[in-house]
Amino acid sequence: MAPRRLLPALLGALATATMAAAAPAFAQASEQAVKAAFVPKFARYVGWPPAAQPGAGQPYYLCVIGRDPFGALIDRAAASEVIDGHPVAVRRFASIDFEAVAGCHLAFIAGANDAATAQMVEGLKRQAVLTITDARNGHARGMIHFAVVAGRVRFSIDQGTAAGRGITISSRLLALAVEVKP
Amino acid sequence: MRALLARAAAWLRNLPAAAAAGLVALIVVAAGTAIILQSEASYRAQKSEEAQVQADILASSIVAAIDFGDAAAAQEAADAMRVNRQLRGVAIYDRSGTRIAGYRRDGLGQRPTLAEARSVTSPGIVAEAPVMKDRKRIGTVRLAVDRQPLDTRFGRYAVIALLVLMAAFVVGVLGVAQAMLRRANRELELRATALGEANSELTHQIAERAKAEDQLRQAQKMQALGQLTGGIAHDFNNLLTVIQGSADMLTRPGLKAERRQRFAEAIVQAAARAAALTGQLLAFARRQPLQPEVIDVNAMIAGMIDLLDRTLGERFTIRTDLSHEACAVEADRAQLASAVLNIAVNARDAMPDGGSLAIATERVHHEEGDQIAICVTDTGAGMDEETQTRALEPFFTTKGAGKGTGLGLSQVYGFATQSGGDLKIVSTPGEGTTVTILLPCSDAPLPAPETGPGEARAAQIGAVLLVEDNEEVGEFAEAMLRELGHSVTWARSAAEALQAVAERPFDVVLSDVVMPMMSGIELADQLRLLQPDLPLVLTTGYSDEIARSGTGGRPVLLKPYRIETLAAVLDEALMGAKAEAE
Ligand SMILES: Nc1ncnc2c1ncn2[C@@H]1O[C@H](COP(=O)(O)OP(=O)(O)OP(=O)(O)O)[C@@H](O)[C@H]1O
Ligand SMILES: [Mg+2]
Repeated sequence: MAPRRLLPALLGALATATMAAAAPAFAQASEQAVKAAFVPKFARYVGWPPAAQPGAGQPYYLCVIGRDPFGALIDRAAASEVIDGHPVAVRRFASIDFEAVAGCHLAFIAGANDAATAQMVEGLKRQAVLTITDARNGHARGMIHFAVVAGRVRFSIDQGTAAGRGITISSRLLALAVEVKP
Repeated sequence: MRALLARAAAWLRNLPAAAAAGLVALIVVAAGTAIILQSEASYRAQKSEEAQVQADILASSIVAAIDFGDAAAAQEAADAMRVNRQLRGVAIYDRSGTRIAGYRRDGLGQRPTLAEARSVTSPGIVAEAPVMKDRKRIGTVRLAVDRQPLDTRFGRYAVIALLVLMAAFVVGVLGVAQAMLRRANRELELRATALGEANSELTHQIAERAKAEDQLRQAQKMQALGQLTGGIAHDFNNLLTVIQGSADMLTRPGLKAERRQRFAEAIVQAAARAAALTGQLLAFARRQPLQPEVIDVNAMIAGMIDLLDRTLGERFTIRTDLSHEACAVEADRAQLASAVLNIAVNARDAMPDGGSLAIATERVHHEEGDQIAICVTDTGAGMDEETQTRALEPFFTTKGAGKGTGLGLSQVYGFATQSGGDLKIVSTPGEGTTVTILLPCSDAPLPAPETGPGEARAAQIGAVLLVEDNEEVGEFAEAMLRELGHSVTWARSAAEALQAVAERPFDVVLSDVVMPMMSGIELADQLRLLQPDLPLVLTTGYSDEIARSGTGGRPVLLKPYRIETLAAVLDEALMGAKAEAE
């Protein structure tokens, strides 16, 4: 799928480049702000196994585990998302060693170093949690992995791993990914 | 609705066919146009619906892209639409209405904002769909669809238009044909009427013509009859002049015996011709009773030479060639003589400058029995083919009015066929004619040769009761009977005769047929009752009664008669009575 994605991506980049001047509002603010805006949105395009889905009126839990690079940015972004009547609630954990981590739907994982991040991702392996990592924090990859391409925040998706956890990812989201690992 | 339709139909029917066809053709064209417009409209509706669906699909597929502010992904989704070649262009706007992605097929730039894009009218079909996220509009998709390329559409409509035009044309042609047919029908009807009129006119004319022809035929008959009576009166006058003159001469005293003889003979001849003339008339009227008798043809012809000589005149020579084989025939003597005379007169008329007449007899052998041919040949003008075929027709003549009646040959032919024979004409124009009377031969024995006048003496003499109402005839008959040696009692009516018979005995009665009160035939019937053995001889010029009922086997003496005939008839009657008595 990678080669097929390359051309549209390039075109997209071109289009973005030409558009940048005409639509400055759409230009990405800070890299962290964009990422903070993205993360709660993922919940809309992801399906969890029935057991993992929130009950009526219950929120999707977005857990920031390890270092928190977003701060209030992510709280604001999460507050504006309501998915099918479920709000998005942000929880912060220092590590995965908390029982409450089991209730996370999405988890942005940023360890002190690459190995720590990898270990945490590995630690959530048995749970239906959409793991999100950032290339800036090392090579460890969650199911969604942020990277900056051509000056823009993009992400790749590990669909196979997600599927292994019973997590389905909408094709609409897959369409936005720089790379999809089946 | 139905009443309206019916009224429209009636109205259409009353319209001239061509106009109706034109109207229908117009309607068809209008309907075709309506179909095209309707089709165009529904096409537009369908296209805009399609466009709307595409816009909706695109809008829902770029929710994430707009959600994530991913213009590239949005552009990619827009570009994916290029597959649809009917799309003129696609534009994607973010929440604020700013264009973030899109394309135009013609490669030109797009309006930067949704408001601007909306302000210009697109030539295509435009559809807009909101990009919704959780019931909130986060963007807008706007796309324009080309209408079907004009030529394709035009092609489609052209087919419809062509069909419609063809239908209209067909309707028009049908209408015109119908109109022509109607006109042809009307003309045909007119002609049929005219023909009917002409036909009845023709029938009328034919009837008129038949009437006219009938009238003409009647007129011709009357003319012929006039000619006949006129001619006969003329001939009769001539003959009477001869008779009267000769009789006057005879009454002169001191006449030499030789001259007396000449005058007497002239009277006899004239009377004979007159008799022939009346015989002709009667034969024509078919009322003359045929008196067949056994005739020696050769002798009869020889006896007629004198008469013929006088009839024809000096410029003619008469030759005879009488066969030895010639046989006797049974025929009416007067009519046979008349026939020969008739033929001879025709020959004379055919030879105005004179010529020769040959009379020949010849026996013709036949299987059914022999015939005798009496051939009269002249060296006259002859007859052309038409005259020859029509010569036997009654009233056919080439002679001028008053000269010929056209009855001569028809009468001869009638006589010949009535006698069991035939008549033949052979003629060459300019050379002459042979007219042949054919009569069947008779085996009957010939009567005793005729005695000449003056020599006549009754073989039997007796008391004769003469019954005759006409004074002159009675006188003449009485004188003749006395001359023959009979004793005569003249009764002037049948009643007188019956009275005489009651008073005295008579040997024979000679009675006229036509008398007032009681006819000769009635008298004969009464006498047969009173005296069955008394012989009776009837005499008459002609009698309807004899023609109708016959004479009951009694002998008839035809008037006018000559003394020798009278003698012979009375002799026979007396001998018959005597033979019966013995
Ligand atoms: N011997 C003949 N030669 C030439 N023509 C003849 C002869 N006999 C008869 N015909 C033709 O036939 C016609 C008919 O003859 P027919 O005797 O019937 O009548 P007709 O002689 O004309 O009249 P009628 O006898 O009353 O005087 C004649 O008018 C004549 O033209
Ligand atoms: Mg004649």
